[in-house]
Amino acid sequence: MPSSPLLQLKDVSRVLAGRTVVADVNFQLDRGSVLGLLGVNGAGKSTTLRMIAGLLAPSRGRVSIDGRDAFEHNATRGVRLGYLPERAPLYAELRVIEQLQFCARLHGLRGNAAAGAVARVIEQCGLGDVRRRLLGNLSKGYQQRAGIAASIVHDPGLIVFDEPASGLDPLQAAKIRALVRELGRERALILSTHLLPDVEACCDRVVILHGGRVRHDGALRSLAEDGVLRVVLDGEPDAAKWKTLTSVQSAEFDAGAWRVRLMPGASVAELAQAVLRNGWGLRELRPDAPDLERIFLRIASADGAASSEIVAAAA
Amino acid sequence: MSLVLARNEWRRQFARPLAWIVLAAVLGVLAYFFLLSLDAFLRLMPKLAGMADAPGVTDLVALPLTRALASLLLLVVPLFGMRALAGDLQAGTLALLQASGLGDTRIVLGKYLALVGFVGVLIALAMTMPLSLGFGTALDVGRLGACAFGLLLFGAALAAIALAASAYTDQPTVAAIVALALNLLLWMADAGARYEGVSSTFINYLALPTHLEPFLHGLVSSVDIVYFVLIAALALTLAARRLGARRVRG
Repeated sequence: MPSSPLLQLKDVSRVLAGRTVVADVNFQLDRGSVLGLLGVNGAGKSTTLRMIAGLLAPSRGRVSIDGRDAFEHNATRGVRLGYLPERAPLYAELRVIEQLQFCARLHGLRGNAAAGAVARVIEQCGLGDVRRRLLGNLSKGYQQRAGIAASIVHDPGLIVFDEPASGLDPLQAAKIRALVRELGRERALILSTHLLPDVEACCDRVVILHGGRVRHDGALRSLAEDGVLRVVLDGEPDAAKWKTLTSVQSAEFDAGAWRVRLMPGASVAELAQAVLRNGWGLRELRPDAPDLERIFLRIASADGAASSEIVAAAA
Repeated sequence: MSLVLARNEWRRQFARPLAWIVLAAVLGVLAYFFLLSLDAFLRLMPKLAGMADAPGVTDLVALPLTRALASLLLLVVPLFGMRALAGDLQAGTLALLQASGLGDTRIVLGKYLALVGFVGVLIALAMTMPLSLGFGTALDVGRLGACAFGLLLFGAALAAIALAASAYTDQPTVAAIVALALNLLLWMADAGARYEGVSSTFINYLALPTHLEPFLHGLVSSVDIVYFVLIAALALTLAARRLGARRVRG
């Protein structure tokens, strides 16, 4: 019998104050993958995450975690869900270590297991220097890190982060990205963010929500076209010289680099050898990166069927 | 799990100045009241010595003190309980508890246990005043025990009302005002009836003093115990249902 995915959203909709905030959302997630949830403000990201965390019941459809309904109170206990909302849920009057100890005990950890888990997340989230400080007196960045630590102290199998890097400086954000990648190796992780570089750096799959509907769901790589390379050469661009290469179908110059489409069956090595042989001063050669921002903005600014066509074309 | 939550609530309550200030203020007022009662008793003692069935120190010092404490609990318990759920709703920390899979009933029970603990500490500290008289005179310890038990049940019912009020708003001040209004309503529910000389109708049964007074006279009755338990159970059920409704309604 095939096992059910760790997280599955099936035709999930949610109506709030008479307005459909999330409509017919479907996706699933398994251990070992990091899913980026993208969308503009009001796209329905936080509402979707709250339904996954069991804080909000779907108006229609079903959110299941490990085959069980997430809305049933104990469903999240078996899998151990780690949820960090947009505003870190911290008790301002507690010290960092007290908050973490409480969260560990809340999830059933006791004695040495709790102490070990707290020490682990303090190390992971770089909270050693502030472990005795009151949470209410910490900077936004440290509070966010404390929130992340509190959400993973019980070693959850499913982690849901809503804007984890908000309020962090670039150095802290880079550390959080590294942590997200590390956590996503063995767990299922959903990362909701406005920061597209975070998705590109951490996620292997992206779901784009717009107007409460899923407008794209697929591997991040699928946003790029296969067989298209980005090539940077020394010297003045000359479109004619590419026509002399048998491995190249077409080439166009865009923003300081060539977008080169290979002939069917031609290899990248073949192209690289040809460029070097001709002495064109090869400075950069890589797959044309998924221009997530461009696609995201096109989806976000388009409406209805038009945006669906764009996604279909992009995918 | 509710005990883990109760312990955390206890720690948080005493990490804030409000709990200490309220405890100090209530005990200060009670201590002053106690000394006044004691002074009045000492002045009356020569007259009381000549009476056949004279009231003792328990009647004239301990009983007024427990009545004063009951009146103060009406005001103080809403202050202790106003942040119980409203504070979590306001700060967003309820998400931490609900996402842990604890369940709304256990969340409410954990918060309630902590709240009853505070009320218990306040009553215990206040009762040390009449008990200290035991070093110099003979006290009716059984009656004092009934008083303390009655006050604890009374305080536990008020704590449940405060918690229920706190579940319906994310503004702690609003929760305190609503809880205080409900307390006063239940306290004075039969005031009109008593003014008319009616003392055994349903409206009398609803009033808090109807069920507290027997304890203060040393009478522990199951009817009164059930009344306080029912009030607490009803209020806690409403609080838990409200948390559940928030998930459904958003």
